[in-house]
Order: sequence, then C-alpha cells, then structure tokens
Amino acid sequence: MGPDGTPGGWLARGWRRARRRPASVAGALVVLGFVVLALGAPWIARTDPLKIDWSQIRKPPSLAHPFGTDDLGRDGLARVVWGTRISMQAGVFSILFAIAIGVPTGLVAGYYRGALDGVVMRLTDAWLAFPFLILAIGLVTILGPSLVNATLAIGLGATPTFIRLTRGLVLAAQEEDYVQAARALGGGDARLMARHILPNVVSAILVQATVSIPTAIIAEAVLSFLGLGVQPPAPSWGTMLNAAQQFLESAPWMAWWPGLAIFSLTLAFNLAGDGLRDALDPRDY
Amino acid sequence: MLDYLLQRGLLSLVTLAVISLVVFTGVRLIPGDPARVLAGTDADEAGLDEVREKYGLNDPIPVQYLRWVGLALRGDLGESIRTREPVARTVAMKLPITLELASLSLLVALAIAIPAGVFAALRRNTAWDALANGVSLCGLSVPNFWLGIMLILLVSVRLGWLPASGFVPLLEDPLGNVKRMLMPAFVLGTGLAAVLMRQTRNAMIEVMSADYIRTAYSKGLRQRAVVLRHAIRNGLIPVVTILGLQMGALMSGAVVTEQIFVVPGFGRLIVEAVFTRDYPLVQGVVLITASAYVLINLLVDLSYSLLNPRIRIRGAARGA
Repeated sequence: MGPDGTPGGWLARGWRRARRRPASVAGALVVLGFVVLALGAPWIARTDPLKIDWSQIRKPPSLAHPFGTDDLGRDGLARVVWGTRISMQAGVFSILFAIAIGVPTGLVAGYYRGALDGVVMRLTDAWLAFPFLILAIGLVTILGPSLVNATLAIGLGATPTFIRLTRGLVLAAQEEDYVQAARALGGGDARLMARHILPNVVSAILVQATVSIPTAIIAEAVLSFLGLGVQPPAPSWGTMLNAAQQFLESAPWMAWWPGLAIFSLTLAFNLAGDGLRDALDPRDY
Repeated sequence: MLDYLLQRGLLSLVTLAVISLVVFTGVRLIPGDPARVLAGTDADEAGLDEVREKYGLNDPIPVQYLRWVGLALRGDLGESIRTREPVARTVAMKLPITLELASLSLLVALAIAIPAGVFAALRRNTAWDALANGVSLCGLSVPNFWLGIMLILLVSVRLGWLPASGFVPLLEDPLGNVKRMLMPAFVLGTGLAAVLMRQTRNAMIEVMSADYIRTAYSKGLRQRAVVLRHAIRNGLIPVVTILGLQMGALMSGAVVTEQIFVVPGFGRLIVEAVFTRDYPLVQGVVLITASAYVLINLLVDLSYSLLNPRIRIRGAARGA
C-alpha cells in the first residue's frame, strides 16, 4: 500500500494518470527517441556529418540523402542526428548547472531567512532583469562564443528561477508540523534541510526542469543561429538554420529539418512535462 | 498605498544599483587593459589617455564605479568604438524601430490571446478548449526564428505576397513600413500570444466561478453581458502582470526577429556590437535593456495596484 492508501504508491498512481493522458506519454516517448538519437548518433548516422562533398551541393532529399544536402554537400540527416547530441547537451547540462547552483542557494536562503535571504532575493531580482539573450550576449562577449560558454550562459540565465522556486517551497515546508517536530527533537540544520525539507522540493524542481530544458534547447539554437554559440562546422540545429537562411530559394529543405527537429523535441518535452506535473501533483487524487 | 509605492520604488532602485554593478564588473572581466577595451584596438596613445582621464582608470575601483554611474545618469554611456558616435545617440536612433516592432507584436499577441483565452475558458473541457490549448502549446514550442524562416519561405518566396526583409522608415512610407513589419510582428507575437492565452484562460475560469458572476447571471443577464461587463475586467488583471514579466522574452525575441528580417533596430545593433567587439556599445545596450525591464515591471506593479483595489487597501492598512 502506498502512502495515499492505494496499491503501489506514487508509481502506480503515476501510471494510472499517464494512461489518461496519451499525449503526454507520446511526448515522453518522442523525448526518449531523441535521447537515443543523441547517444547513438555515431551508429545511427551512417555518414560523417562533417564530410564535404563538392559533387553533392544542395541536393534535394533523395534516397541517398533523405534530408537532402547542404551548401557544402554535407548529409542533412547525419547533421540533424548529430545536432540532437549538441542540443541535448546544451539543454540538459545548462539546467543541471542551474539546479546545482539554484537549489542549494534557495534552500539556504529560505531556511535561514534574515539578511542573507534579503541579499539573495535582491540579487535574483537584478539577475532576472537581464533578458536571457542579453545576459547571454554579455557573457559571450566576455568569454567568447562556444558550446560550453553558451551552455554556461543559458544555465546562469535559468538559475534565478530555481533559486526562487526552491526558496518558496522551503518557506512553505518549514511551517509543516513534522519539520517543527524534527527540529524540536534536536535535528541539526543540515539534517533538517537534507532529510525533511529537500524531499518536498524535489518534485517541483523536476517539473520545472521539464519546462526549462526545452527553453534551454531553443536558447542554444538561438545563440548558435546568431553565431554566439556552437561554431561551424559543428552540426548544431541553430548553425544549420543560419546557413539555410542564405539558400531559402534554392534549397529550402536545408531549413525544414533542423527547425522541425527543434519544434518536435520542444513540443514533446512540453507535452511530457504537462503529464509529469499532473502525475506528481500530490493535491490531485 | 503610498507605503506600497515607496517600498516598490526603493526595491527597484536597489535592483538598478545591482544591475549597474554587474555591468560595470562585466567590462572589467574582459581580459586586457580596460582603457584598450573601452577605446578600441586601433586607438592611439592619446585616445587611450583620453579614456583613462574620462573614466579615472587610475583611481581606486569604487571611485571608478561612482564616476561611471555619474556619467551614465547624465546620459553619457561612452562612444562606440566602431563609429565614434555616442552610445546614447546610437541607441536612441535604433530604439524607435524596435519599439514599433514590439508594439505591433504586442497588438498581435493580445488580439489572438484574449479572445482565444476567453473563448477556451467559456467552452472549458470541450473540443474547442482542447484545440486552443493545442495551438497554444505549439506556439510555445515553435522556435520563433524558425517560424520566421518558414514564413519567409511561404509568404515571400512561394507566394510573393510580402517582402522578405528590409526596412523603410514609418514616416517616409507608412504602407511599405507596415508591409515589412507585418511578418516580424507576427513571429515575435506568437510566443507571447501562447503564454497570454493560457493565462487568460486560467484567469477567466477562476473569475467565472466567482459569486458575483453567479449573481450577475441570476439577475438575468445574458452570458455576453456577464463576460464583457463583469468577468473580463478581473480576468485580465493577472494577464497584465504576466505581460510585464514577458517583456524580457519580448526583448530577446526582438534580437532574433530583427536578425532574420533584417530590421535595423536595437537587436541588430547589439549583435553587430558583439561581433565587432564594440564593448562600450554592448555595455550601454545591456545596461539600458536591464534598466528598462526593471522600470517596466515597476510600472506594471503600480498599474496592477490601481486596477485591483484590494492591493491598495492592504497597502493602506499596513501604513495605518
């Protein structure tokens, strides 16, 4: 019996709800498919995404090149598949970075409150005032354009959201009777935070991550599109779209696939995230 | 009320101070001699000395900071390395173009989001609601630069209805200007429309279940009158707040959209500035954007308190 009195607890409950939301399950499967593409890129893409072939410049989709070829005769399919890896890296690592900084900061600020909390909140206010792209542009100006710096910039942009989310949840959790009880029993600060407060935060952070990752994936594509992220010839969906822009009339397929890939991945993430929010929401039985 | 205004104003001032510190520090983090960074690589000794003199680069760092803030407050943001034009003037020239784009896209977003959101709320849990939600989810997921490229492909390349890019000033040729701004405004507006539609729908669902709405119905008012006269006013309050918070996304979106449609506004300016390593220009643009965001949100908060009397009362009670 689970804590809510139904067999199997949250896993079974989650599954029962998942069946009610086929769109979310489909989204999760598509995300999974992209993960497989990202991990298996070397085996799935049969051609080298960087191999230039001057005899195959801007060829429309065919059997040999199902996604066509680009302005340097490179295989579109191979580049989209390898691009998955870059997008996933940027999306996942930037949000992991934001969580790694944001959650402990929000936890400490919410737990101790007082002056420390005030300082942290003013900092996040100022931080949030930089529109993401402007922040990224500022950082890239200082650090120089690359995948790592773009990931860092995206992660930094997402950090205040996680600080605020964690802080709010910690403030609420502290009022709970069992936390008060644990404190009365002589639990130390570290123990209280790790054992009693943090578990309250986890599911909300997970849900926020599913919202933040697709945003981060688009952000990486935008930065690379502007030339501020991944540098050519690396196959990023953003750099591919940048190149495609110059050949819209003669080779429109160059613009179709990378964009379709971003669109389907972010849509799938959003669908899966909606389902996860529903499945993890303890209020709704 | 006054209490609330003061508190919000003070918080915004603190935020602005932190922002200026961050921007100031950012420029110091660029490797190399700060005078060289601010004057450009092709500046001669005299030019370097001029910059050192102006910003007091031999003074202690806190003094340098205060001097820089003082100049910025008087509207002196330095000179662009590339054009030798004052940064403030360069920005002032480009800003109206971006403001036009942003206002148009805001119009597009509101024109789509509010009717769609209200409609979805009234037809809650029907196929129409599902359709509206699906479209909004797609709007949230589609990268706007790709949408822009696809629109150019369809509307300009295939159909030849609108010019793909370029810009003519509004005052010179209003029709030509709007023709060229239509697609960028639509592209920039869709993401915002998706967010606002969801917000409007949720807010309207909540408002429609309120007691006073039931009262209005029981007076014998038709749905049309209830929605338009009673519900919408309260339903739009949270939408105004979200609108303020979305300004950052709108600014980021403008950078990309201007790049695709070759609109010579603020966004193109900043991307060019990064590529030409025009640090004073980047610094000025970042400072202005962040400050604008803070001020817009302050205004939104204040207008919110005017729209919603409950906040005013709470503020007054605290002051008493």
